[in-house]
Amino acid sequence: MAKDSTNVDYAGPLRRLVLAVLVLILMGTFLLWRIDSPRVERFRAQVTDQIVPNLEWAMAPITGTVNLARDFQSYRRIVEQNSELRRELRQMQSWKEAALQLEQENARLLDLNNVRLDPRLTYITGVVLADSGSPFRQSVLLNVGARDGIVEGWATMDGIGLVGRISGVAQNTSRVIMVTDASSRIPAVIQPSGQRAIVAGDNSAAPPIDFLENPDLVRPGDRVVTSGDGGVFPAGLLMGQVAADPGGRLRVRLAADYERLEFLRVMRHYGNEAVSDSTDVLGGSAAVELAPDAIPELTEVTE
Amino acid sequence: MNERVPSHLWTMRLAFGLLVMAILFMRLLPLQTASGGLIWPNFVLCFALAWSVRRPEFVPAVLLAGLFLLSDLLLQRPPGLWAVLALIACEQMKGQARALRDASLASEFGAVAIRIIGVGVAYQVILSVLLVESTPLIPALLQIVVTVIAYPLVVAITHGIMNVRKAAPNELGSKRFGT
Repeated sequence: MAKDSTNVDYAGPLRRLVLAVLVLILMGTFLLWRIDSPRVERFRAQVTDQIVPNLEWAMAPITGTVNLARDFQSYRRIVEQNSELRRELRQMQSWKEAALQLEQENARLLDLNNVRLDPRLTYITGVVLADSGSPFRQSVLLNVGARDGIVEGWATMDGIGLVGRISGVAQNTSRVIMVTDASSRIPAVIQPSGQRAIVAGDNSAAPPIDFLENPDLVRPGDRVVTSGDGGVFPAGLLMGQVAADPGGRLRVRLAADYERLEFLRVMRHYGNEAVSDSTDVLGGSAAVELAPDAIPELTEVTE
Repeated sequence: MNERVPSHLWTMRLAFGLLVMAILFMRLLPLQTASGGLIWPNFVLCFALAWSVRRPEFVPAVLLAGLFLLSDLLLQRPPGLWAVLALIACEQMKGQARALRDASLASEFGAVAIRIIGVGVAYQVILSVLLVESTPLIPALLQIVVTVIAYPLVVAITHGIMNVRKAAPNELGSKRFGT
């Protein structure tokens, strides 16, 4: 016992000093994050960038194996699935016919009107490296980053619907905050009524629709697309369909398949051109000012 | 014995680091991209507490602080806060390690459960006091409960598979490595 007490006396102060220093460092990190969050978040992105891509060699086989097992479970009901698919395919073929006709008609009309669709909306495809690792945060990590020209705030889609927004870009990786995350707020338009609303994530699979002016004009099944308000997102990206939950609250049933996100498209978006000075626009000198902007735009398209 | 013990000590420290990395790795696998998945216990905290009670010398405070901060950074938590709370909890358990050496699993479980609940509640309270947009309350409370429940399992793994057990009384003599 005497030996024990000398041991404590000998090692105690040093250990307590180290602990105090560590506690101060950690508290300092937290307070720094609270005060200057962007800088610490950049540091976090860099740490993630250093670690996660190095784990990819191990992550890929495990993810593959688990997905294979899940696929195998779905093989058990393959017969009913097959007949379901065949039924859907028949429906789709009639839709396809209609779509082709509409596309041709649309192309003719666009040609007649000499319309140019926004040519700058191109995309970069990235592979999902990791998820957020916590049930409270809905985000994924992509293997494209500043090296590939990713810019904070760009929209990401899975080919059909909107998935989220880039938040946090490192050299080789970038983080996508999904529409379902509690911190996500996306301005949207509900078609065909044209009502504007905010789709606010709340960690559930179907985010609710907030700030709707006239809910009577909106009914389940309406399409929800991004409105482009605020200039962060391009307008007209499909988000999903309106659905009413049992409580009567309107939610968005998202079009993107969140169950299995493997590849994501990051939509390049350079902001909407703002009309700042109306007299310039009316006077005609605006055309000269716009011209230098138009040239990189063209090179962007050709590459 | 004096030749063998330091290398064993460092092996076990390295093993703890790898264990935490493996847990983080499993959490980061892109398998649960949809929302509303299962709420997993916080295994990092469980293992850190279990090792702190059993062999304080395997988990020095510096190692714990580094690993906790890393998991904060990788799991998108506010960096530092959860780490400092968990570190304090582990150090308290280390302080009790000698008292708990001969105690039953039940009393150890009680002490650990208080620490886990304390860390979880303090984390939520501090976040809400500082007006940080915190996680939804119900899942956060559920995670605390699940973590407490998972602790005996973690102890079984630590004891049985990893062979990290409380030091026998005669081993305490080599206190050069007890710092």
